[in-house]
Amino acid sequence: MDYAASEPGTTAVASALAIKILIAGGFGVGKTTMVGTISEIRPLHTEELLSERGVGVDDTAGVESKTTTTVALDFGRITIRDGLWLYLFGTPGQDRFWFMWDELAVGALGAVVLADTRRLKDCFPAVDYFEQRGVPFVVAVNCFDGARRYDPAKVRRALALKENIPVVLCDVRRRDSVRDVLTTLVTYAVKGV
Amino acid sequence: MTEEDPGPLLRLFGLTGGRARPQGEAFDLVAIVVTVSGSYEPAELIPEHRAVLSLCRRPTPVADVAAHLELPLNITRVILGDLRREGLINIERPGPVAQTIDERIYREVLHGLRSL
Repeated sequence: MDYAASEPGTTAVASALAIKILIAGGFGVGKTTMVGTISEIRPLHTEELLSERGVGVDDTAGVESKTTTTVALDFGRITIRDGLWLYLFGTPGQDRFWFMWDELAVGALGAVVLADTRRLKDCFPAVDYFEQRGVPFVVAVNCFDGARRYDPAKVRRALALKENIPVVLCDVRRRDSVRDVLTTLVTYAVKGV
Repeated sequence: MTEEDPGPLLRLFGLTGGRARPQGEAFDLVAIVVTVSGSYEPAELIPEHRAVLSLCRRPTPVADVAAHLELPLNITRVILGDLRREGLINIERPGPVAQTIDERIYREVLHGLRSL
């Protein structure tokens, strides 16, 4: 497409759409692996500069402040066609970066909550967060090597999920498996099933 | 107090004149940035500005711009805010998801995922 041909100030951008999907879950559950497995690009890594208080540094006083820190933000991309992409954002794992989720969640199509059955409670905060904000999500149980396969119904009960929220088993290292999780999420987010 | 070298931070804020927040309306991580074609390009643009203008001849989401520049997101946003103020780029505010993803786009996305 020849975007350069558009007139200045017009919204040639209207034809481009980047759909945001969040990958959440506890530390070490496989979020970065999941993004890397499906992304067409090596997961890009950017950083957000922020203050420890969780608000942006508003003036130059913050420059001298030792409270300034960075949080890494990994994301991957799937190009559906020219001008239509899915962006996968791995949410920061540490609790102190919760506030970043607010920005990530705004306008997101939905979220994948990755769960490890050995540490199921690690994904409670993510489930609570998306429920409270009305962000559609699916729970994907990452089946690690050696981990016995769990009954999704048990995971649903343990997480006290509503009946309609999909719970699926996956292996974040397998492309077809991650693809199926995303397909489930997109369908659930758009169609409610 | 001494464990961190403030050098990189100072350099980053030097790019933005010490500002950590962009000018004007806030924009999303996946807001689409596009270079305004045919606009007059001031001679004094810094390399980061030129890089954005070159990259965004094709519509590019904010997060991608940050990754290409290898700069933190909020520094990138300040740079983008400046370029927008100068009328050199447009930044489209993404519409509500429910309204932007119609049946056609939904089918395109599903088809795209299945063919991966």
